[in-house]
Order: sequence, then C-alpha cells, then structure tokens
Amino acid sequence: MSIKGVVAFEKKGSLKYILHEMKPRGKMLTPFNIISIPIIILGLVILVIRFVKGLGAVTNLSQDYPWGFWIGFDVVTGVAFAAGAYIITFVVYVMRVEKYHSIAKITVLNGFLAYVFYAGALILDLGKPWNIVNPIIGNSFGYNSVLFLVAWHFLLYMMAQLIEFFPVTAEWLGWKKVKRFMSTLTLGAVIFGITLSLLHQSGLGALFMMAKPKIHPLWYSEFIPLLFLTSSIPAGLSMIIFESTISHRVFRDIIDHNSHTPFEDIIIGLGKGAAISLFIYYFFKAIIFIHGRHWSLITDWWGVWYFIEVFGFVLLPCIMYANGVKSRNLGLIRSAAVITMIGIIINRLNISVITFNWNTPVKYFPSWMEIVVTLMIIFIEIWVLRWVVTRMNVFNYEDSH
Amino acid sequence: MEYYSYVNIFETKGLEYLLLISFLVFFILFLKYFFSPNDENE
Repeated sequence: MSIKGVVAFEKKGSLKYILHEMKPRGKMLTPFNIISIPIIILGLVILVIRFVKGLGAVTNLSQDYPWGFWIGFDVVTGVAFAAGAYIITFVVYVMRVEKYHSIAKITVLNGFLAYVFYAGALILDLGKPWNIVNPIIGNSFGYNSVLFLVAWHFLLYMMAQLIEFFPVTAEWLGWKKVKRFMSTLTLGAVIFGITLSLLHQSGLGALFMMAKPKIHPLWYSEFIPLLFLTSSIPAGLSMIIFESTISHRVFRDIIDHNSHTPFEDIIIGLGKGAAISLFIYYFFKAIIFIHGRHWSLITDWWGVWYFIEVFGFVLLPCIMYANGVKSRNLGLIRSAAVITMIGIIINRLNISVITFNWNTPVKYFPSWMEIVVTLMIIFIEIWVLRWVVTRMNVFNYEDSH
Repeated sequence: MEYYSYVNIFETKGLEYLLLISFLVFFILFLKYFFSPNDENE
C-alpha cells in the first residue's frame, strides 16, 4: 500500500478513505472480467436504446406478452433465489443456531444485492418507468393490486436488509457508535424482514392468479402463492450452497478458516433443509395435481414437460440431497443444488413465459438484447459483491452484530 | 340421470385423503432417515 493509501486507511470513514477503497484491486485481466466487461458495456448501450426508444425497440414483448424474460427471470426467479437471506437470518438470529453464523453476513449481502438488482430490474420493464413511484407516493396507490403489496414489500425488505448489513459497513468505515447502534436494530430488522419475505414470495405467485385463462392448467392453481413460498426455501438454500462453494474457491484468501463450524457441516445442514423443503414442495405439487383432477392433461407434450419439471427437478434433487446428506457427499449435495436451481428457473419461467398463452398461436421468445441485459444485471451484481467482500468484514465469524 | 359413485376415489376426494395419509407416513420415514443414530455424530 502506498503512503497516501496508508494515510487514507488510518482515517476510516473519511472521503479520502472511501475514494481510496474505490480503486480496483487485484488483476484486471481475469477470465471473468474479460467476459463480463464487454457484456456490461453492450447491456448499458441496449438500456440507453430501451429508455430512448421504448420497450419495443429492444424486446419481443407485445400486447399478448406484456411480461417477458426480464420479469420471468430477473424479478420472479431472482427473488426466489434471494430467499436464502430470510431463511438464514431466521435460523441464526431468531432460532439462535450458531452453526450458520459464519455465512449470515454474506447471505444477507447476497440477498440485498439480489433485491437491488433483480427487483430493481422491474423498472426496465415498465412502459412508463417514472410511474414506479406511484405505489409509494400515492399518485395512484392501486390498493387492489397484488403489485401494490409487492412494490411496498420490495422497498421495505431492501431497507430491512440494509439495516441488517449496516453494522458491517459501519465497521468498514470505522464508525463504532453507529455500528453499535445499528447492531441493536438487527433482530427487529430480521423479524420484520422475515414477515415481509413470507408475504412477497407468495405475493409474486399471486401476481399470476389473474391470468387463469392464459396459463396452462397444469401450472395454474389457486395455490400458486403457496407453491412460490414453499419452493423459495429450497431455491434459497440451493443458492447459498452454490454461491458459498464458489466463494470458498474465489475468496479463499480472505475467508476466516477458524470458523466455529467446519464448512462441510454447514453445507450438509443446508442440504438437509433443502431435502426436507423439496419433499414438502413435491407433496404440494402432487396434491394440487390430484385436487385439480388434471389426469386428462398429461397425455400431450405439456404433460411430459410437467413431469420432467416435477420428477426431474423436484423429486430427483430431493433424493440426491437426502443421499448426499446421509453419505456426507458434498459433490452430490452441490449437484442437487444446481439441479434444484435449474428446476426453480424452469418452474418460474413455465408460469410466467413458457406456458403463458399456451393455447394461442402467438409465441414469445426473448430477443438477444433481453438476454444480454439480464446477463449485464447478473455481472454487475457480481462486480458489486466482489467489491464489497474484498473490502468489508463479510466472511469472518467474529461478527459485527 | 347420472349417478355419483361414492366408492370411486377419482370422483370423490378419496385420492386426496390417501395421498395426504401416505405423505404423513413418508414424511415421518423421511425424517427418521435423516435423524437416524448414525447421523448424530455429525
């Protein structure tokens, strides 16, 4: 570190310190940077076109398909993957299971960034993006809309997660009193956040309840909110397993390996939770299928696709998780996590895009620009995550709370 | 005139009840599988 850097480092919280911390660290020419930078630049150019010329210039959306890949993947799927934050904070701060304490901060950070970027992507899909403030300022509250609930919940949950994570930021800035004060708010923010999460995870499913004639009956159900909530648990847990596996390789130099619980035990514990929640989710899928008397619907390709989703991406990872936990096979647990995540993506896209308008000749496929913008959002999130974890005390067990 | 068969599990909610009962049984077995003694030494 240069002399200027040392001086800035000593004055934590000063503007100089923050500017010093903004500078990039490490090698610039990594495979990830080489792939992500051109995509981010291209995505930003596409976004400029989108905001200047409108949605039609860059997307394949139409009156028949007002919601496409950005809503189906970024918002609906992204929020399901962010569920890990409310599960882990509940287990650590409410149930006081210390075993998972070492992953609490990184999980909250991931959840917060996921909400900021993926739920924030909602603004891209609004024909009149400036109207996004309407549910907040009361210009047109729309009390009857599920989207009203979702908008408020996203906003409040992001604030709750910011409060949960702020002690880490205050520690980084050297604000001891602020850190102490914010730490006292953590439990309240966690409980508030869990309440919000339970409601808006199911609320995202409730958004599709008004589309009964459009969604294939094998996927449409009056219990979509319950299915969204239940499936968010294995989605969140699988995401934690997946990302913590990558984090442990990429950030191995800054991770506290003296954590009270071995990493292997944490993965196995998460795998156990994912197996049990997948088992319950599978049962819900089965009883909704029987309750809806869908026997006549499984004779065509939609039926085959439905069973691929349910057996291949719910029951199979459930069995894999169970075997992996029992035999302490981390490879099997990680494979199950990847399959579960693919299954959640398929499920959310089935409801929001693939089986949407299944009985009409109009079909939708996202344009390459929609896919590039989605990749851009994912890459920017990873860039921000990397910036935060290489500067703040995110991985160490000796925590800020 | 159509007759309603009370013993047909497809027409009644019999299948749902059977599924529910079997789920409860399987869920207990599933949990027992996880928390069996050889797993406690984790």
